[in-house]
Amino acid sequence: MKKKCKLLCFLRGGLLRTSLREKLLAVLMFASFNVFAADGYDQTTKFSFELNGVTIKAVFQKIEESSEFKVLYNEKTLDVNRHVNVNVKDENVESILDQLFKGSKNAYQVYDKQIVITESKDSPSIQKSKSGKSQKKEITGVVKDTEGETLPGVTVLVKGTNIGTSTDLNGKFEITVSADENVLVFSFVGMNSQEVKIGDQTVISVILDEKSIGLGEIVAIGYGTQKKRNVTGAVQSIKSDELLNLPVAQIGQKLQGKTSGVEILQTTGIPGQGMAIRVRGSASINASNQPLYVVDGFPIVGDISNINPDEIESLSILKDASATSLYGSRASNGVVLIQTKMGQLGKTQISLNGYYGIQSVPQKGRPDMMNAREFAQFEKEIREEYAAYKGTVATIPEEYQNPEQYGKGTDWYNLLLRDAPIQNYNLTISSNKDRLRTTVVGGYMNQDGVLKNSNFSRFSLRVNTEYRLSDRVKFGLNVAPTYSKTLTPKSDGSLWSSGILESAILSSPIAKAVNDDGTLPLTATGAGMFPNPNWLRVVDEVKNNTNDTRLLSNAYIDFEVIKDLHFKSSANVDMDNKQLQYFSPSTSGSVYAVPPQKTKGSVTTTSYLSWLTENTLTYSKTFNDHQIDALLGYTAQKYRYDYSYLYGTTFPDDQVTTLNAAATITGSSLAEEWALLSWVSRLNYNYKDKYLLSLAMRRDGSSRFGKDNRWGNFPSVSAGWILSDEKFLSSMPKISYLKVRASYGLTGNNNIGNYSHFAAVNTDNYAFNGVLASGKTTTSLSNTELGWEKSDQFDAGIDIGLLKDRIFFQYDYFNKTTSDMLYSVSVPQESGFSSFTTNTGKFQFWGHEFVLSTKNMIKTFKWNTDLNISFVKNKVLDLGDGIDHIGGLTGDPFITKVGEPIGQFCGYVFDGIYNNQEELDASPKHATSTVGTVRMKDTNNDKVIDDYDRTVIGNPAPKFTYGITNDFSYKRFDFNFVISGAYGNKIMNRSLESTQNLDGVFNVTKDVAKRWRSEENPGDGVHPRAMIGTGLARLMNSRWVSDGSYATLKNVTLGYTFPTQNMLKYIKSIRLYSSIQQAFVLTAYEGSNPEVSANGDSALGQGIDWSAYPVPRTVSFGFNLNF
Amino acid sequence: MKYIKTNIAILSAFLLFLSSCSEDFLDCQPITFVSSDQFYATEDNFTQALNGAYSSLRGIFDSGYIMGEMRSDNTHYNYKENDRGLQNVDKEDIDGFVDDPTNRYTSTKYVACYKGISRVNVILDRIKAANFGDDAKNEIIGEAKFLRAFYYFELVQYFGGVPLHLNEVTKQSEAYLPRSTVDEVYAQIIEDAKDAVSKLPLIQATKGRVTKGSANTLLGYVYMTLKDYSTAETYLKSVVSSGTYELLPNYADIFSTSNKNNKESIFEVQYMQGTQGINSSWTYQFIPALSNTAVITGVVGNNGIIGGWNTPTNDLINSYETGDLRKDASIAFGYTDASGIFIASPFVKKYNHAHTIYNNTDDDWMVYRYADVLLLLAECLNDQSKSAEALPYLNQVRNRAGLGNVTVTDKSQLDEIIAHERRVELAFENHRWLDLVRTGKAIEVMNAAGDVMKQEHSYLLARTYQVNEDKFIFPIPQTELTLNSLLEQNPGY
Repeated sequence: MKKKCKLLCFLRGGLLRTSLREKLLAVLMFASFNVFAADGYDQTTKFSFELNGVTIKAVFQKIEESSEFKVLYNEKTLDVNRHVNVNVKDENVESILDQLFKGSKNAYQVYDKQIVITESKDSPSIQKSKSGKSQKKEITGVVKDTEGETLPGVTVLVKGTNIGTSTDLNGKFEITVSADENVLVFSFVGMNSQEVKIGDQTVISVILDEKSIGLGEIVAIGYGTQKKRNVTGAVQSIKSDELLNLPVAQIGQKLQGKTSGVEILQTTGIPGQGMAIRVRGSASINASNQPLYVVDGFPIVGDISNINPDEIESLSILKDASATSLYGSRASNGVVLIQTKMGQLGKTQISLNGYYGIQSVPQKGRPDMMNAREFAQFEKEIREEYAAYKGTVATIPEEYQNPEQYGKGTDWYNLLLRDAPIQNYNLTISSNKDRLRTTVVGGYMNQDGVLKNSNFSRFSLRVNTEYRLSDRVKFGLNVAPTYSKTLTPKSDGSLWSSGILESAILSSPIAKAVNDDGTLPLTATGAGMFPNPNWLRVVDEVKNNTNDTRLLSNAYIDFEVIKDLHFKSSANVDMDNKQLQYFSPSTSGSVYAVPPQKTKGSVTTTSYLSWLTENTLTYSKTFNDHQIDALLGYTAQKYRYDYSYLYGTTFPDDQVTTLNAAATITGSSLAEEWALLSWVSRLNYNYKDKYLLSLAMRRDGSSRFGKDNRWGNFPSVSAGWILSDEKFLSSMPKISYLKVRASYGLTGNNNIGNYSHFAAVNTDNYAFNGVLASGKTTTSLSNTELGWEKSDQFDAGIDIGLLKDRIFFQYDYFNKTTSDMLYSVSVPQESGFSSFTTNTGKFQFWGHEFVLSTKNMIKTFKWNTDLNISFVKNKVLDLGDGIDHIGGLTGDPFITKVGEPIGQFCGYVFDGIYNNQEELDASPKHATSTVGTVRMKDTNNDKVIDDYDRTVIGNPAPKFTYGITNDFSYKRFDFNFVISGAYGNKIMNRSLESTQNLDGVFNVTKDVAKRWRSEENPGDGVHPRAMIGTGLARLMNSRWVSDGSYATLKNVTLGYTFPTQNMLKYIKSIRLYSSIQQAFVLTAYEGSNPEVSANGDSALGQGIDWSAYPVPRTVSFGFNLNF
Repeated sequence: MKYIKTNIAILSAFLLFLSSCSEDFLDCQPITFVSSDQFYATEDNFTQALNGAYSSLRGIFDSGYIMGEMRSDNTHYNYKENDRGLQNVDKEDIDGFVDDPTNRYTSTKYVACYKGISRVNVILDRIKAANFGDDAKNEIIGEAKFLRAFYYFELVQYFGGVPLHLNEVTKQSEAYLPRSTVDEVYAQIIEDAKDAVSKLPLIQATKGRVTKGSANTLLGYVYMTLKDYSTAETYLKSVVSSGTYELLPNYADIFSTSNKNNKESIFEVQYMQGTQGINSSWTYQFIPALSNTAVITGVVGNNGIIGGWNTPTNDLINSYETGDLRKDASIAFGYTDASGIFIASPFVKKYNHAHTIYNNTDDDWMVYRYADVLLLLAECLNDQSKSAEALPYLNQVRNRAGLGNVTVTDKSQLDEIIAHERRVELAFENHRWLDLVRTGKAIEVMNAAGDVMKQEHSYLLARTYQVNEDKFIFPIPQTELTLNSLLEQNPGY
């Protein structure tokens, strides 16, 4: 940052000593530090105006209003009230200044955006003119940074005046002050300003330290930006440089471990998919829980998984109601604002970033299935045990008669996996020349999945431009087309939904995946087992390819109506077209549908168009100590979704896979729409920059709700007080920053189906005498009163900076109540319907978020730590009249009860095995219980084990989540690691239902060998006897639930930046790095991914593991080149 | 200052334009379906709604055999020692009288009946306000009321007194009703069915729609079940005397897919093979579990997971009289596998007809047919001790089966003969279990059958086939009990 110092501050003030030496120095330094900004701002900014008979002061004002120039002058040497005529047309500032000062004794200097007016060289010097005054003092000194290096270009000002100078190349300064002035202010970009009392000193040396927390940093808030120090809501902002080193495909993956109060889980390792993001545990019953994503001001409809992370400049997560209420009806689950890159002023930058990595699945977490020998032994033994039970003689199929003949056999899981490369390259060019500001980001990413035949690739381009038509009017256009392609074998899910991973591990290890002659068998079946296809073929030969083309674009015009009042109008479009091509050849299949199968193929096309127009008026003004920012806006958004599906069967062969070859083709299409109209308004006020107040209000009308209830109001208020700016705290210099803030507001959720309030009449056909008779039936209940799901949220927080912000601590408490939840209440099916969509129920969420950022070492060896930890709890307050729970019906793994947390697991409580007849006789029993079967707890003490004994058996929500980031740098080395974790979350491993099945139809886990065999050989007390009465054991029970706490080392990076000044002419910097993603997962959970969740999007149904696609460990190498 | 004024003027105009955007923008009507307030207006709408009400019948008969036939002594299943999946266990439980309220198949029937009832209720509530002719309305009302009576008759026979929903449920609060008594349900069935009789034609222009004969048969069954034999006789005789129906000469033709809605058919649930989703498929559940079904059905597929149910018991097979043509028409005793070996594994053959897609058949389900009415009438007459009068009806059916006349007039002997005749004539048509309950023989017959079965099959646990009066009806599904606290469970569950 230091190096980018604008040396212009250098000559600030009319009283600057204007010796030739310094001017020269200034020019030299300017040249040496801004070589890449060949055309400075002064050259690119053009003016056109005609002013007659105005004062010089008015001309200066005009220049400042219509550009970013600042004019510095001394009224003692310049008569600003002199009337002049200025007439320029598309000319630069020098022309104006030439006209102004022609023939006068004043001269000027322009340094980028600063104009300094001086007396001309031959006029009497300032020194002289002041020499007549009494009592002056000459002060000298050196300014250094904390590492002891001198700082050139530091502005030195006499407090409360325009009098000042700046340090030279050696960090030295000289200034003459009158004796009654007693404070000097030292300021420098990126450093904390410092005030020094002069007193009797004549030599003052100062050490400036870097701003550890960018409180001056601008953060994006809804419909605008704000200085971080003045933000009164709960907003977490993340800059792109924090995300640079993570070689992953999705934004969500980059954010893991870095956010407080935001749970980011990778539920599956499928390339390009699977990130679940939940802000403050937000949950709704039926409606979605994903936050609203807003890209460059445009609330998008799709998700962010296919947006190139390298296009992002910064990202703000809005958490509390004051921050989110401006997004009204869609804000309940939090809002993620994404700002894409825009060329920085005065610079042309080119950078090329890339990485290449290899992904592999760690050994830990792979399912521990029996090998061929163990499996044959198992199949043989269960038959013998069962025969003994029946008193008959076992018939053992030949292939199991002699287990010793087998070795390890086929390890289906390992066979389907591979080590896979991932690579990504991005070229970014940004410039800001003349009136045009442009950034172009082009990216290519290609990730092979660790499951064979899975791949994600993406080509992306973003062109952001802004054109200044005049000093009052700006046009902008952002266009971002993305093309991505995914190959996704159906890896996840249970075997009944043809999930390849679960099906494969259940297949016989005796069956061969590859014949000895190298050919691939068609099936993988064993005697008495469920017949399976050869999963190696299925994974390789089934085509399941999605092509996705997306265009995200914004166009806007910004027009200054009168001074400080801006009108901005924008048109935004998000278009997406996806095509899924599927083909299943005759050699593929699924459980019970083994090859040769009928060939089948389909083409599914989905597309959407979402457009938004937004018109806002903003006004910002400072008068004396008062500053206001006001916003008023109107937006309209419409969305249309189209879906079509073609399905063909009976292809003559597996060669032509397009539908033209199919003998039978069927198809259908669907379409949906929604619309939203909204008013937004906000007033931010601050007094003396330390008393802060913000009022906001949005009014939304949505087509998704019943006519009688479609408009909603979403107000919020927040206030902050920066105590550290008060006098009473100035006696505690260790407290460098202290702010308290609080907010309260309402937000909404409209994430339900588009037509839920209608009673739908759908097709349900019949036939008469072999002829189709079209039938219709009402399939849902209407609800004209269906309206918003509302959340009111209170948030209180404190920000503390200690020791010049080297230690920065942030704490937030929040308490949110979501009511009128959009919920499909299950109704008795005697009504003819199974559910009714209504607003009912109340959930409460509350929690604590802590963030601690420290600069542990700041010298040559730098070490920064960011730590965050969040405790989020929830409770069901109400579920509507007469309903004390939802879910928990027979076979339902989840229950949500009033007075308890949402979405808990529900089932029997496992209580061991009935080891012998006495135990069985003495215990409560299920109808199917016999010796050797599982014993479940009689939770209602009615001496019978039945459906009523099912109870809560675990909560998938973590007690707390945390993240730790450590950055180290030493000279040219940098090192960083990120840990992300959760504690107390439970996972239900539903694959155990099959992987420990005792029927002999599946391969099983090794520990099944420890099952109950006889009273003398009761096993490990966990696995029941084979064959009879295992029914109860395969109902959901507490044995499948285990602790999912984890700490994952998400990323470790080591980088080195090469010195290039003398090496390569056009390369500004080269950095090479190596990193490991998902380096290590510390967890007691036996499955492969403790972040798993079968259904990441439904809050009431989380935490189920069906052998999901494993998350790989990635070792990669990358580079950052700046030109 | 001029530019300021202009700017403000432009801006004001723009804002005015925006705020004039009306609510119309927010009216997004559904595109891919109609909302109910835009439907139910024309005759065509109501015809479609009626077809929708028929469509729920499929939900009953797709798995109707489990409660109607497997529960009885007619059929059992091929035990899958190595597949104890709960979808199997639930079927076995019903067969063995150890089912509980969480059983998925009892729930399926319960829900399907009420789906049909609600569809009828919508029609009946809304048709009054519709603007088309009364004659057309009455035709629709007649069919709709038959369907409601039929659905409630299914419910009351299988579950006892159930909640009596007679109007469209339009809001959540209306969905909760307590159980009505058995008598109340029957009263409603009779009222609806009688209204249907008065409105329905003898012959429908569209074959497959219910007729006066269907409703008369239904009433005959209802009164038989209520043991009001004289009233039953009236209705059953009106079916016979209508002259609309006759026995087909060849028993197997009754079920042929090329012979739908034939002269013997009184009420037949319609199916259609193909991709419209209205096909039948029970043949694939009835034949043995095979890795390739082509050896029986001619279509390749693996029904390993769904096959092997509703298999004829030895007791049934042995009960056919010598020379009974129905035996071979109804039952196959095995099949020849791909290598030409005959595998002895009896299965239901009645519904095995040509089709083209695996697990997708064209068979209709015969609910009421003329032979059924004749035998029921014979039973009805014998119940009233008019045994001699019963014989011709019984013998009509026997003769077609290639059997000689029965001449026995002893009431109790004839009772046995008619019951047996119904057993074999209507085998695998979901009559046997209800016949056993109606005639009061269920406890005796099933406990005896259970003893035999347990000897034959070592996998049957001791607790199976403990049949008492509680087992005449099935439990109310657990889910409904959980959702509706007004409901009470049947005794014994």
